[in-house]
Amino acid sequence: MTHSTVTLLFSSLAPWLVVLAGLQALANRFGPKMRGGIRITLLGLVAAGLLAAPVRGISIAAWVRGVAAGFSIPATGLLALAVWQTEFRKVVFSKADWRAAWVFGALAGLVLYPLALGLTRFDPYVWGWHFSPLFAAVAALSALLLWRQNRFGFLLLLAVAAYQLRLLESANYWDYLLDPVYWAVSLLALAVRLARVVALSQPAASTPAPPGPPPNA
Amino acid sequence: MSRTGARWLLIAVAVALNVLPLLRKADQASCPSLAPESPAHAPLDAQSPFFTNELINPGSPRPMSHVASICELPDGRLAAAWYAGSREGATDVAICFAAQQPGASAWTRPRPLISPARASRDLHRAVRKVGNPVIFSDAAGNLSLLYVTITLGGWSGSSLNLTTSADAGLTWSPSRRLTLSPFFNLSELVRNRPLALSDGGTLVPIYHEFIGKFPELLWLGDRSHGLSAMKTRIAGGRSGFQPALAALGTNRALAFLRDCSARARISLARSEDSARTWSDPQALDLPNPDSGLSAVRLSDGRLLLAFNDSETGRDNLRLAISADDGRTWKRVATLEDEPRAEFSYPFLLQARDGKIHIVYTWKRQAIKHAAFNAAWLDAQARRPPG
Repeated sequence: MTHSTVTLLFSSLAPWLVVLAGLQALANRFGPKMRGGIRITLLGLVAAGLLAAPVRGISIAAWVRGVAAGFSIPATGLLALAVWQTEFRKVVFSKADWRAAWVFGALAGLVLYPLALGLTRFDPYVWGWHFSPLFAAVAALSALLLWRQNRFGFLLLLAVAAYQLRLLESANYWDYLLDPVYWAVSLLALAVRLARVVALSQPAASTPAPPGPPPNA
Repeated sequence: MSRTGARWLLIAVAVALNVLPLLRKADQASCPSLAPESPAHAPLDAQSPFFTNELINPGSPRPMSHVASICELPDGRLAAAWYAGSREGATDVAICFAAQQPGASAWTRPRPLISPARASRDLHRAVRKVGNPVIFSDAAGNLSLLYVTITLGGWSGSSLNLTTSADAGLTWSPSRRLTLSPFFNLSELVRNRPLALSDGGTLVPIYHEFIGKFPELLWLGDRSHGLSAMKTRIAGGRSGFQPALAALGTNRALAFLRDCSARARISLARSEDSARTWSDPQALDLPNPDSGLSAVRLSDGRLLLAFNDSETGRDNLRLAISADDGRTWKRVATLEDEPRAEFSYPFLLQARDGKIHIVYTWKRQAIKHAAFNAAWLDAQARRPPG
């Protein structure tokens, strides 16, 4: 198998998982109450068939690759985990693991994208071509997360392994760690969590008092 | 193995894999410098002034032609690439190729080289439009063609691709996508002539135009060791784009920038460390109507610039010379001047025999090629103005 075939297959993995997760959600809502290996295999085949369907003579997978060729390893891993946890109802990632994934995606994206799009003369994307502070920071973060038994550290380990094997079309380390979709989802997930925290911390006085006699009655 | 032992093992693997690139970086400690721009040029022809011009694609069945580039083949002939179709950005636009016929200065019949359909097949992804080809040759005589593809949207949705030819353009390798931007790999474009690097690699001026518009550099490694491509930045923000490079020596380089601001002036950035870091771009006393320009350092050390000499339009095309590394300029010749016509996107090259070549968009209908020598430039410079 040539390197370009490997990168081609790998670039189709995340879109396939997205379609699979969508089919899984539909099956959970409208399908028979069955879960497990047989169902996920069937749904996976349907997802692959959908991605192979042509639009204007070009497969949907090729259209997706045209717009977003490389999904990062954490994004692909989180998608796979979401599908797995839903199908087999086993918690692989704890709340703390998910929180680490969203915080990493949001902060790394805030560092990378505004500057990479030209906000200043400095472009942090250059840190991904060769050894740089990015590699040192990811090594330290991975070590910290793994030591604390946070499983997002394992996804970072997979990311650097994929970078060494050049599983993506890109030769830049950033593209193995982060992608714009992962960044956007991370920001959204943190915003939802923040909204929940704010809602829970609202003083009880703001809710109308239940009907009843006055306290001094 | 205990849980603690497994944890330490994972940590060790994570740290080792992240530190591994440090060893590779040590291998690459000798960063390439710029190859002298015209080391093998014959002395400039000091005989009588010489000037010729012709259309490369007269009577083209495609009504629009734009963004031409040329390079020299190992046997001294020229090869050219441009895009043509019904209009700029249309889905029927293809990248066309022509070369001079052996032993003659006439051009071969242009042929389409890259269409959206071929790019889709090569790149295994949907491609709706192609554009901006830059053709260049390396020290081994292999041709390379960089071009942009678009799946959705306009030019700001461009990505860069590379194809190569080892037989002077007769056959071309399947194209490869270059990943140069973390944001959906969007908005990387090419337009001007690359410079050679001392290690056999190539330094290609590229640019970004999405939210900002700024100049960048693409460092292509020596392709005999496999393709390597990385990108650095000349300036950020909306500092100017479509850089045109000129090497003043192995360490010193200039980048002339197209202006997208109301200032309407060509700007110039300088590097003293082989194009790694650059000064802030400074405006020159030469106008720019937000249009492409080209620069080359001649073998006698002077700089030659081709540009639209106007703040508002592309209806003339002039040449200017600098004998002091770009500080002062003298307009020496007018190649085109016709009200309401368009003459744009010049691309300069000095061949090994000392002749200077330029190709440019002629009225958006065709690509024009002109060849001249330094004696012609000097004769033009001596003519009284007007």
